[in-house]
Amino acid sequence: MIKVENLKRIYPSKVPVEALKGITFEVEKGEILGIMGRSGAGKSTLLHQLGLLDNPTSGKIIIDDVDVLKLSDSGKKQFRLERLGYIFQEYTLIPELTALENVYLLSWANSKNRKDYKKAAIECLERVELGHRLHHLPHELSGGEQQRVGIARALVNNPKVLFADEPCATLDSESAEAILKLLTELNKELGQTVVMITHEPEDKRYVERIIYLKDGLIEKEERTVL
Amino acid sequence: MLKNLRISFFLAYKSITRGRKSISIALVVIMIMIFILLGFVSSILLGVTDAMNRQMIENMYANIVIEPGEDEDYIVKAPLLQRKINNIPGVIGSAAHYIVPATFTYDENKDGKDVKTALWTVDSIKPEEEIRVTDIHQHMVAGEYLEESDRQEIILGREISGGYGAQLPIKSLGGVKVGDEITLTFNNGVQRDYGVKGIFSASFPLVDIQAFITEREMESVLGVHNRASEILVKIEQTGQEGRYIEELRRIGLVKEKIHPWTDYIGMLSSVIDSLGKVRLMIAGFCLVVAALVIYVIIFIDITHKRKQIGILKALGLGKGIIINSYILQALFYAILGIGLGLAAIHFLLIPYFASHPLVFPLGFVSLVMTKNLLIFNSLVLFVVALIAGFIPSWQTARENILKAIWGR
Ligand SMILES: Nc1ncnc2c1ncn2[C@@H]1O[C@H](COP(=O)(O)OP(=O)(O)O)[C@@H](O)[C@H]1O
Ligand SMILES: [Mg+2]
Repeated sequence: MIKVENLKRIYPSKVPVEALKGITFEVEKGEILGIMGRSGAGKSTLLHQLGLLDNPTSGKIIIDDVDVLKLSDSGKKQFRLERLGYIFQEYTLIPELTALENVYLLSWANSKNRKDYKKAAIECLERVELGHRLHHLPHELSGGEQQRVGIARALVNNPKVLFADEPCATLDSESAEAILKLLTELNKELGQTVVMITHEPEDKRYVERIIYLKDGLIEKEERTVL
Repeated sequence: MLKNLRISFFLAYKSITRGRKSISIALVVIMIMIFILLGFVSSILLGVTDAMNRQMIENMYANIVIEPGEDEDYIVKAPLLQRKINNIPGVIGSAAHYIVPATFTYDENKDGKDVKTALWTVDSIKPEEEIRVTDIHQHMVAGEYLEESDRQEIILGREISGGYGAQLPIKSLGGVKVGDEITLTFNNGVQRDYGVKGIFSASFPLVDIQAFITEREMESVLGVHNRASEILVKIEQTGQEGRYIEELRRIGLVKEKIHPWTDYIGMLSSVIDSLGKVRLMIAGFCLVVAALVIYVIIFIDITHKRKQIGILKALGLGKGIIINSYILQALFYAILGIGLGLAAIHFLLIPYFASHPLVFPLGFVSLVMTKNLLIFNSLVLFVVALIAGFIPSWQTARENILKAIWGR
């Protein structure tokens, strides 16, 4: 599903930062992959390249058989809208939109016909157990609930790949566990490929395989029991 | 494409209805005030210009002034000429004047002491034809207008009399009243006494320094007949003077000098020019303020939402959708401001100044608010809002996604 070849990202400055020094790996369709490593190891940088939010210095990325780095800016935008989902560490919702509106904004933008986009958004919110909170504004929701709206938003266009960058970092451990459980369930249900950065060692039990990053390189790989 | 516009509209609508009300209200109030100020300043200055022009036409020059040709003292056969002029279609009337400099003397106690003397010109009129051409008869503040048969009577402008609220610090007769007697020494040496029959004032100094006696009296002073120092012509359509001047040439006024009233604007033209410049300056100032206010408010709002915008873009929402949603918001506030501003002008300002005109030293000034002016102001404000909404949203929406999200 995802194929990364010799990916490098150097942040230019007086002393250039080599955040990724040549990364090669593959992710299979339907797999749920964890990325771990110390702070500053290059995890977020890697995910940004995969999510088409940044331009790597060199290397190759193939997602869903598309050589994505060859796409134009608007091609990348369309690719993100149709095939990728991204969950950010901070659950940043539009404050003036309800949970439902925050989610259907994206299905609307991607919809071909007019009616279905709301239905898809409601289904996604129900799947993250927020069916009873559709018409609440973000400030009326708890942190965990807001993050679940963020997940629903990332899922609403039924993406092929879901990226998550420490989705639980700002949540209490109970909500965090619920979110991780939800992500694995969704992965099983929908067969989406998931690439997730996690911080806590105990999160290992939610992923099938872990790639450890260190100083911009893959240090080791590990299969988990899942 | 249409779908994206609908999404922009949706975002703008939610932002307006669910965003902070205090900011929306402040923005609309500022737009209303700027729109009113924009119209108000223009219309007062236009009103002043308009009042000056009316004074000149109604109380001084009518539309066209005919003067004697080069090296001539008088226009000859004036009554005959006037008959021809009055027959031109579209001419309301004509009025022949003799204009003679004279020394005015007022001896209040008739004892030769404390005698007030001043040099002015005195014009002669035929009251019946004059009222068709000028409006002095409507501006009598005391006494009566002249009658055809008057000989020993004179009417004075307020500033010559020095009373009745005269405003200029000029050499007046120090408070002559209706019924008083004054002596005129004409520049040909003839000296006669006149009873002051009336005082007029059009609240415009240039009008109020005139004095009038009847033509019959003046002809006896000068010992001439059927002549004129000037003939004023009043036409139906102000603005068409050029056409009528050609017509006057055609009917035989060849060597006479003929001027439209606008040739006499003279010193007033610099006033009018300056007013025009002030108008442009204030209008420009208002628009810059409007642009900055909209820019700053949208800038603040969009800066708060930088992260959200970055995430929407990361998820594949086009930046055009975001830019358009902010432009729509700016336009909404502009339209609301313009609409309410128009309403305030129509239902409050115009009626108020119609019943409480401003008093200038040129008569009453009310607002001249033309439809074109209002349309122009609305359009300009609209465009300013468009630009002021576009710039900050464009700046933010085209920002690098990661920079927007992580703030670096
Ligand atoms: N925009 C940037 N400009 C310069 N250096 C950056 C930038 N983003 C990240 N870095 C550097 O790249 C390295 C990897 O960062 P990051 O991918 O965020 O690490 P992680 O997510 O593993 O904590 C760090 O040394 C970080 O300081
Ligand atoms: Mg990170």
